[in-house]
Amino acid sequence: MTPVLCAAATIVLLLSQGLVAAPGLGNSPWKRNGLATQRFEIQGTEGRNNPLRRKLDEPYAGDELFVRYYLNYDAGTIDLPNEDEGEFLVLWLDIGEGSDASTHSQHVPNIGIHVKGNQNRFMIRYVSRGEAYGPPLVGDRDILVVGRLSKTVPGRDQPFDRLELWIDPEPQDHPEPVASVSSRRAPHVVEWIGFSTGAKTEVDDRIQVWDIDVAATWEELFGLPPAPEPESLEPLPEEQRTVTFADDVYPILKARCFDCHSGEDATEGVRLDVLDEVVNQTAPRDAAGSRLFQLVSEEEMPPDGPALSDHELQILRAWIDEGLHWDEQLLPTPVPQTDHWAFQPIRRPDIPTVANAGWIRTPVDAFIARKHEEQGLVPAPAADAQTLHRRLSLDLLGLPPDRAEADVPFETLIDRFLTRPEYGERWGRHWLDVARWAESNGHQHNLLRPHAWRYRDWVIDAFTSDKPYDQFVREQLAGDALEPYSDENLVATGFLSAARYSGNELDKDIQRNDILVDVVNTTARALLGLTVECAQCHTHKFDPISIRDYYRFQAFFTKGQPVNVVLSGEGEAARELVEERWRIFDTVHDRLVVAKRRQGVPDPIYIVPATVIRGMKPAEKKRFEELDRAIAGFDQTWAWYSPMTASGDVAVAPHEMRWPLPRRPSVLERLRTTILIRGDVKSRGPEVSPGWPAVFGPMPGEPDNPRLTLANWMTDPANPLVARVWVNRIWQWHFGHGLVETSGDFGTQGTPPTHPELLDFLASELIDSGWSTRHIHRLILNSATYRQSSTFSTANDAIDPGNQLLWRWTPRRLEAEAIRDSILAVSGQLDARRGGPSDEGASSRRSIYLRQRRGNLPHQQMLFDGANGIASCTQRRVSTTALQPLWLLNSRFIQDAAEALAKRVETVDEAFQLAVAREPTRDERAALHDLAGEFGMVSACLAILNSSEFLYIP
Amino acid sequence: MSPSPVDAMNHTSPTLSRRAFAAGSGFAIGTLALRSLLAEESAGSTGDAPRPHHPPTARSVIVLFMAGGPSQVDTFDPKPELAKLAGKDVPESIARNVPKIKRAGLKNLMASHWDFHPRGECGMPISTLLPETAKFADDLCVIRSMTHRNPVHGPGECVALTGTGAGDRPSVGAWSVYGLGSASQELPSFIAMNLMTAGMQYPQAAGWGPGFLPSRFQGTVVEPARGIHDVDMPDGVGNARRLRELAVIQQLNRHFLESVEQHSELEARIRSYEMAFRMQTAAPELFNVGQESQQTQRMYGLDADQTKTVGRACLLARRMVERGVRFIQIRVGGWDAHGNIKGNHTNMAGRTDRPIAALIADLKQRGLLDSTLLVWGGEFGRTPTMEGRAKGRDHSPAAYSVWLAGGGVRGGQIIGQTDPIGYTVTERPVKPVELHATMLHALGIDSDRLVYDHHGLLETPVGVTGGQPVLEAFA
Repeated sequence: MTPVLCAAATIVLLLSQGLVAAPGLGNSPWKRNGLATQRFEIQGTEGRNNPLRRKLDEPYAGDELFVRYYLNYDAGTIDLPNEDEGEFLVLWLDIGEGSDASTHSQHVPNIGIHVKGNQNRFMIRYVSRGEAYGPPLVGDRDILVVGRLSKTVPGRDQPFDRLELWIDPEPQDHPEPVASVSSRRAPHVVEWIGFSTGAKTEVDDRIQVWDIDVAATWEELFGLPPAPEPESLEPLPEEQRTVTFADDVYPILKARCFDCHSGEDATEGVRLDVLDEVVNQTAPRDAAGSRLFQLVSEEEMPPDGPALSDHELQILRAWIDEGLHWDEQLLPTPVPQTDHWAFQPIRRPDIPTVANAGWIRTPVDAFIARKHEEQGLVPAPAADAQTLHRRLSLDLLGLPPDRAEADVPFETLIDRFLTRPEYGERWGRHWLDVARWAESNGHQHNLLRPHAWRYRDWVIDAFTSDKPYDQFVREQLAGDALEPYSDENLVATGFLSAARYSGNELDKDIQRNDILVDVVNTTARALLGLTVECAQCHTHKFDPISIRDYYRFQAFFTKGQPVNVVLSGEGEAARELVEERWRIFDTVHDRLVVAKRRQGVPDPIYIVPATVIRGMKPAEKKRFEELDRAIAGFDQTWAWYSPMTASGDVAVAPHEMRWPLPRRPSVLERLRTTILIRGDVKSRGPEVSPGWPAVFGPMPGEPDNPRLTLANWMTDPANPLVARVWVNRIWQWHFGHGLVETSGDFGTQGTPPTHPELLDFLASELIDSGWSTRHIHRLILNSATYRQSSTFSTANDAIDPGNQLLWRWTPRRLEAEAIRDSILAVSGQLDARRGGPSDEGASSRRSIYLRQRRGNLPHQQMLFDGANGIASCTQRRVSTTALQPLWLLNSRFIQDAAEALAKRVETVDEAFQLAVAREPTRDERAALHDLAGEFGMVSACLAILNSSEFLYIP
Repeated sequence: MSPSPVDAMNHTSPTLSRRAFAAGSGFAIGTLALRSLLAEESAGSTGDAPRPHHPPTARSVIVLFMAGGPSQVDTFDPKPELAKLAGKDVPESIARNVPKIKRAGLKNLMASHWDFHPRGECGMPISTLLPETAKFADDLCVIRSMTHRNPVHGPGECVALTGTGAGDRPSVGAWSVYGLGSASQELPSFIAMNLMTAGMQYPQAAGWGPGFLPSRFQGTVVEPARGIHDVDMPDGVGNARRLRELAVIQQLNRHFLESVEQHSELEARIRSYEMAFRMQTAAPELFNVGQESQQTQRMYGLDADQTKTVGRACLLARRMVERGVRFIQIRVGGWDAHGNIKGNHTNMAGRTDRPIAALIADLKQRGLLDSTLLVWGGEFGRTPTMEGRAKGRDHSPAAYSVWLAGGGVRGGQIIGQTDPIGYTVTERPVKPVELHATMLHALGIDSDRLVYDHHGLLETPVGVTGGQPVLEAFA
């Protein structure tokens, strides 16, 4: 066949197929994706030729153009460069057609095959000798070639100056290109595409190309669901603006608004002299929908003086519609300043000298004693050894003391207890409160997270082993990104993934934002002791946190989401099964999306997993179900997944729900963070990049690994909050209230510390001890302050009625978990098995191992003010209701316990001693004895288990 | 003006006032001594009964929560235009205002299956779907202009009962008892009953939860058939034994309190046992609806399978009102009529209409309606369009109807207005928090002045977005 004929024939075919110009390319009737297609055979002429070409329906000058074709090169016809001169074939994109024998000018994008060294390789270029190469050409194989032509400066008149190449990409993976080139002298519009052969293309070469298509987006090119395309909200480029800020807008704002709406004391807190605040009063590029514009156009503002003139309104309208151009020189964004104590550097104080020097056991006491002396308080006498043993045991282990240890010195007990797993179980629960940890999605469907328990065990182990607090924080915020990868570090990200997740939310933006809001609020509250929630909608009225700060903080987390991850111990084979599972799922999913789109369903098209599974062919479904069964048996953890920064190549296992978030890396990678105007997901403001609140100083540039950068900033000894917040929590859990009473709010609305220097002393000790929590425990537990009895003093009470200055020990009720655990322990029923999946239903293990299903937590846990796992709980409350005695008197649980305790003992004395670690008084003994005599030992035991003393830390 | 007592009690960690620990006021054998003890119980450990901001018009509130979302255009908001436009698209003039949410279908309008007739002397139109409720048209104040933006059941229910969709704020019931405390010496002040919970619209715990308020303000969930958790003494334990046990417990607890001194929590603990004992007696009595006459039981529909579940809960609600329970919430699941609205709503109305009408009638005849505010409605309404080809209606929070009755509300009036097809609000929009403010107003509480210090943020029932009670309901 002669090349000329071939070319002519194919041109006719191409014309009849009607290749439509982008962005209207979506109507292209070219068949795709393995359906029957027309193949075109191309041979060479050993000269330049232009055998196959087609005009687009209209010239395309958009910012991006994707092109694809399949190629199969008969292996027998391929020459290698060292035998002959190699091969050449390219697809070109140009303004003009060229003629059959003509070529295209330089600077025309070419995508095809060319010689490189001793190989024929895939190649892209604008000019000869400006080639970039992909992999070598392999014969007799169907190879998918994809190119992307784009404009680095968007605009119709800008050149398509960048060209990228993919060979055999997996479309849903959005892989990186294998080659890219750029040229400033490139066409700015494409109207023709076609194939060229060259001198190296011989007459007997057998080259087939087919399935040629162009599209405006990658997704469209492959029939994938379209990527959500956030519209640009940036101001128009200068030359397109009709008003200028400095000359037109600023004078109006200054004359008519700034009297009230500028500066820190702006009326209603609405500032119009700061860009972010103005953004928050407007709708992006929509003057009519902007509160600012409505108020002035409806003459509600300004309240005094004449309304704005039509001309002034016109200027404001244009300014908003054109994207709110701002002049930072004229009105710079203020750098927040604060003299609030908590934001100042931690300074190690001198240890005070006090008159009552004999009372001092650890430096902690010196700070406490100084306040006592300043206020005229006299500390309570030390508690007796029995009381201290019981106090320490309940405080550190959450269990009543073991009689066998009654004679062990207190200092020895402290050291012993701090390394026991029971300590990890109790103090780990304290942290789980802060981390709002639970084992279900929350919200409406509240699906269980069967692998979330690994984080609970990680927390317990971290306490038991005294994991340095800086490491504890770093692993929870960025464990998935730490080098080298470890499963343990990944498990730690359960802190982030404990966020609630609505499985019934159709709107992906809302669904994702809800999770991010949860993560941001929890992280700020837990680690920084800041309540940043307000700044989600408006700049914080009290603390130096702006709305921009809020979303910059959110940007640390944007590109991740909670998922089940298969642990590495399962090996490569497991990963392959997981990948196969997703391959089947994604293939069917994409098939259904394409089908729906053909039916005219508008994008974005979402399909619930259940429908995808129903849409599988029998063979697919059979294999899919086999895989799901196998995967369900793998060790997994509920982690935070961020493929861009992960140190390990993890396999994401399914966690099906009705409307899961898209999990593909490409989707996550494309996510951007913008300010949400007044917190509304549907009102996007300017884009922001990751950063901590500006009051803490500038970010050192855009981080490669945002969460690790955040974690490192938090655990830097210079961070004024993290160490203070942590030692304050430790203090609170020992004494019932922190040195800063509002342990979750170190901001200006929180309470100031009662002992600011003690707080800084402990924070310094934490950092200098290598962030050892155990060290802080010892400083506190060995103190005279901790050893005080609860002896009341009328004189002290008159000075400090709330005991804020710690002149005695205030007995406090045990938490829900410790109440149940203590009852199990004294009745001899406690099942000491540790760790592993949570228990649902009847269980005698410690309460930390009971299933934590949000909204449906164990009855007793809610009855005694347990944490609800919804928001970070920094301090348990103590409610006293009549329902508590009902449970303590009538429940099956308490009946079993009273019976078990009764069987354990011979006398009421013994039962009493087991429960409260002391002898009963004569009256108590008599009353209990009578009760036992009349109604049996069970009745006496029930009374003991209901006693306040049993339920309080003495 | 001196600060209101309600304001005065609203601090997170009040330095609790010392309660005189009078010797002899403690527990003694026999209920007579029990009753002599401290007055208000669950309002707070202070025992100082909070007083309202203004004279209340209601002592109790009963929320009849129709979960799933009853359709406004098939119940209380007649739209004859729908019959004319049936099968057509939503007119552009209205479609423009429909919030851009995924579920807001704009094609294929569907007429109501029910006729509307003027009812009562006021002539309020109510559909033939609810013939029994309709008999009380002159007692109902219908708000047709309820509106919010959350079209999903779970968060929508949280919006409807807590003000936001996140599920982390206090329920309106919790705010009520936080503000006023209990009027009952022997029962919880806030009781929630969740009926017919099978299906997709799971009860949202936030709807009776305390949010950030102390947990003693949360609703106590009871099963109408069983009563309060653990209220029954174990088999073989009688009053005599229990009283002896309690006496010993109180002796131990007093001893501990004396050794510690000055501990308001421990004092409250002692009182809680007294309250528990009273509850143990009162609760079984409360749930013993067999005490009611046959006629009353029949009126509530306890004699018919279809109505007995809701009927029993409604009857219990009345008995709770009589016993001073402050806030009662009955949640009836099942109104989610995606498929066949005719079948679904006929069924749901059949289960609820008669018991609810009986509750109004019964409260009225006992003179309790004047001091009991009834609130009926769901988490949202439904679209005036047909969903798919299924003759159902999808969720629509943009406009929906609720009604109020009793508790100082002027019946026979309609508040707010929707467009000609009932899709959007055209007049007097009312947000869920404003409905809450209205309930609180009836209880004598000013929502802007009911404050709780939550981590330094002074929270109110209407949240940061604010909202005003619908005062014209009482005019």
